[in-house]
Amino acid sequence: MAKERSYKAQKVIDRMGKKLNRQIVGSLVACVHCGNCTDSCHYVLANPGDPTYAPAYKADKIRSIFKRHFDWTGRLFPWWVHAKSLYTDEDLEELKDTVFGKCTNCRRCTINCPMGVDLATFNRMARGLLVSVGVMPEGVSVVSKDQWEIGNQMGVLKEDYIDTLEWLTEEMQMEDPKSPGIPIDSMEADVVYSINPREVKYDPRTISDAAIIFNAAGEKWTMPAEDWDMTNFGLFSGDDDLGGGVARRLFEKVVAIKGKKLVISECGHGYRSTRCEGPNWAKQDVSFPMESSVITMLEYIKSGKIKVDKSKNPGKFTFHDSCNNARSCGLTEEPRELLRLVCDDFQEMYPNRAENFCCTGGGGAMSMSEYTPRRLKSGKVKADQLKATGAEIVVTSCHNCVDGLTDLIKHYKLDMKVTQLVNLVANALVIEKPVEVPVEEVAAPVEVTPTEVEALVLKGYKILVADDEPDFVTFVSTVLEDNGAEVVKAYDGNQALEMARKEKPDLMTLDITMPGKSGIEVFEILRSDDELASIPVCIMTGKPELRQLIYERAVKPPEGYVDKPIDEDSIVLNIRKILELDKGKVK
Amino acid sequence: MFDLEFVRGPLHDGALAVMTIVYIIRLYWLTRFMAGKERQAPTGRGDTNSRKGFIYSWGNVGMPWAMESTRTKLFLYFQFVIFHLGVTAAILLMFSISFYFKDTPIPLPLMLAFRIIIGAAFVVGVIRIIRRIGSKYIRAISSPDDHFSLWLLTAWFLFAYMAAANNVANGEWKLLTFFIMGSVFLVYVPFSKISHYLYYPFTRYYLGKSLGRRGVFPIKRFR
Ligand code: SF4
Ligand code: SF4
Repeated sequence: MAKERSYKAQKVIDRMGKKLNRQIVGSLVACVHCGNCTDSCHYVLANPGDPTYAPAYKADKIRSIFKRHFDWTGRLFPWWVHAKSLYTDEDLEELKDTVFGKCTNCRRCTINCPMGVDLATFNRMARGLLVSVGVMPEGVSVVSKDQWEIGNQMGVLKEDYIDTLEWLTEEMQMEDPKSPGIPIDSMEADVVYSINPREVKYDPRTISDAAIIFNAAGEKWTMPAEDWDMTNFGLFSGDDDLGGGVARRLFEKVVAIKGKKLVISECGHGYRSTRCEGPNWAKQDVSFPMESSVITMLEYIKSGKIKVDKSKNPGKFTFHDSCNNARSCGLTEEPRELLRLVCDDFQEMYPNRAENFCCTGGGGAMSMSEYTPRRLKSGKVKADQLKATGAEIVVTSCHNCVDGLTDLIKHYKLDMKVTQLVNLVANALVIEKPVEVPVEEVAAPVEVTPTEVEALVLKGYKILVADDEPDFVTFVSTVLEDNGAEVVKAYDGNQALEMARKEKPDLMTLDITMPGKSGIEVFEILRSDDELASIPVCIMTGKPELRQLIYERAVKPPEGYVDKPIDEDSIVLNIRKILELDKGKVK
Repeated sequence: MFDLEFVRGPLHDGALAVMTIVYIIRLYWLTRFMAGKERQAPTGRGDTNSRKGFIYSWGNVGMPWAMESTRTKLFLYFQFVIFHLGVTAAILLMFSISFYFKDTPIPLPLMLAFRIIIGAAFVVGVIRIIRRIGSKYIRAISSPDDHFSLWLLTAWFLFAYMAAANNVANGEWKLLTFFIMGSVFLVYVPFSKISHYLYYPFTRYYLGKSLGRRGVFPIKRFR
């Protein structure tokens, strides 16, 4: 009797037929099971003796379905060639565990296969098939939904995005009243700058740094008011419709504001999705040039539009190549050239460029918290690579890699920091101040020292700092108090809730792992309590891998999120940003 | 049942014809799948392009330094070279006996050349069998087809080695076995993993073309 097949399994098989193209079929039939690719995969290296992580083994999970349904040998003699069909929803779950949880689509095995088998490409296809029947990690579903519905993968609302850009403009103008800040939706700009939503949510400094560089170069630039997300979760989820939709939105926006060139901020998957795969998914030829901001910044320095002083970036640096940049887009030399221009001590990491190992956060892995332990374990290879450089700072041109590497650095207790080229270039900028023309009889301004200016910044705010590390509480409290805030402290989850109820703070910083109630529980209780729900929360954690647990809650996400270790400037910047967006203006 | 005349003639020719027909069907099947289109503007290093990319990709097989997987495992790479030279030599031996030497013994220098290459390939075949069974990783990905193909070729090398003199007086059974196995091999090839060389030009062409356009191929390494 024929075995019954579930509705979803049948759909996956039917849809596979529609997804196959010559490149994919070639890769599916050409594997000779030679095993040459085995130890090119970081999962294998970190799990010695476990063949289920081997690229060919993982590939066979997909190949076996193809053989059973689309290849004659597998149709006629399935057992002979290990052809196997899918029948149950459990089979789909098992496939999900492999294609999402055991491969970051990094393509390292691809470039090490003598036959040219491109596992990453058909692994992506398999992801797309599973997604099409709703079988996917929860994080993938949440992020895809946000990108479909809100237009960016972190669900940043238009008003929050615009508020952030305006706030950054004000910050820049506080520093330099003549700064043009961040132009939004200017027509016929030479450069349209698109970013990763992570920048708005967690790392606004990368936006202001880029703005400072564009302005210093005298660039006629703008940021789109909407459809500004250059990341594309379609690359990770394998959903070509999402990939095409997201790419098309951005392309159409550039055309609508008559932009001359699209510059993509430093992000490996964003660059690959927008610059390389976007036109293919959107099935449209793009009429304007697109480039990585790395290339733009390099050109500014080489052409003398901006000047940099590399001594402003002391320390020993190394560079991590994002897989998407290096193995799928050939962006390997420009970042190095730029890095050498803005720092003195650069130490290459080995292997590097197209042979570099994945940060382990690729392929959407950062959004799949169920696989975090596996990911961190596989990161041993990268951690060893980082350590061997002896560098203090690892630079990368990818937001995903920033998060992936930060996790690894914490997990493997490496004494390193992660940064991006945009931060280094902005830091090294030499801005020539115009010569001041003395004006007669101008009343002398009241002198205010920087400390006094800063002291005003958080004046009038009550902030609750909840963390189980007394040293950290002391450090954050001191910084906040120095800036004028009134600080209330809590050292565990229960105390944090008690203080929140009693003190009604204007903002609360919250650690995730605390005794008593964890930060996650505290956060959920806060959000579900009518009285406390409106208190803005800034997560401050040393365990970024738990980030997803917070964002997966069915409650409004936190207003801010900061990774430890954190410096004074970042504390003030993030707190101010949240308060300003929440209450209008800082008092 | 089989005499030498039959196995060197109709059996061998028939097997060759079957292989050719199945190959053509196989290629037709592959080309029925549309090739994915690349619309993106070239990226990456300016000193390469699609053409350079696929030429490099095709030539990759002869450049052990190009891939980390071969560069760091030269012993395996040389096994690969010897094994494939052995297949070529055994096929040439079969064809040269069928179409050229027929009942004439093969000249000594040529026979020695065949024996050295095919003998070495046999040794590699044995090493590969041990690896396929002994390595946890390879065993986990091996299907009956993988095992059978390897055993078939290794055994065929053994008989090719013995038959290389093409001397009936030395034992007709050696030649008979070599030809019968060769015919089985020819018929089996298109249905098995051995047909990988048919796909090689396609997979490497498309990968090379795409990665050449994206400035990744030829891979540059900097020490
Ligand atoms: S994917 Fe390539 S390297 Fe890996 S087993 Fe298959 S043919 Fe060999
Ligand atoms: S694409 Fe990367 S993560 Fe996936 S199997 Fe290959 S090497 Fe491993």
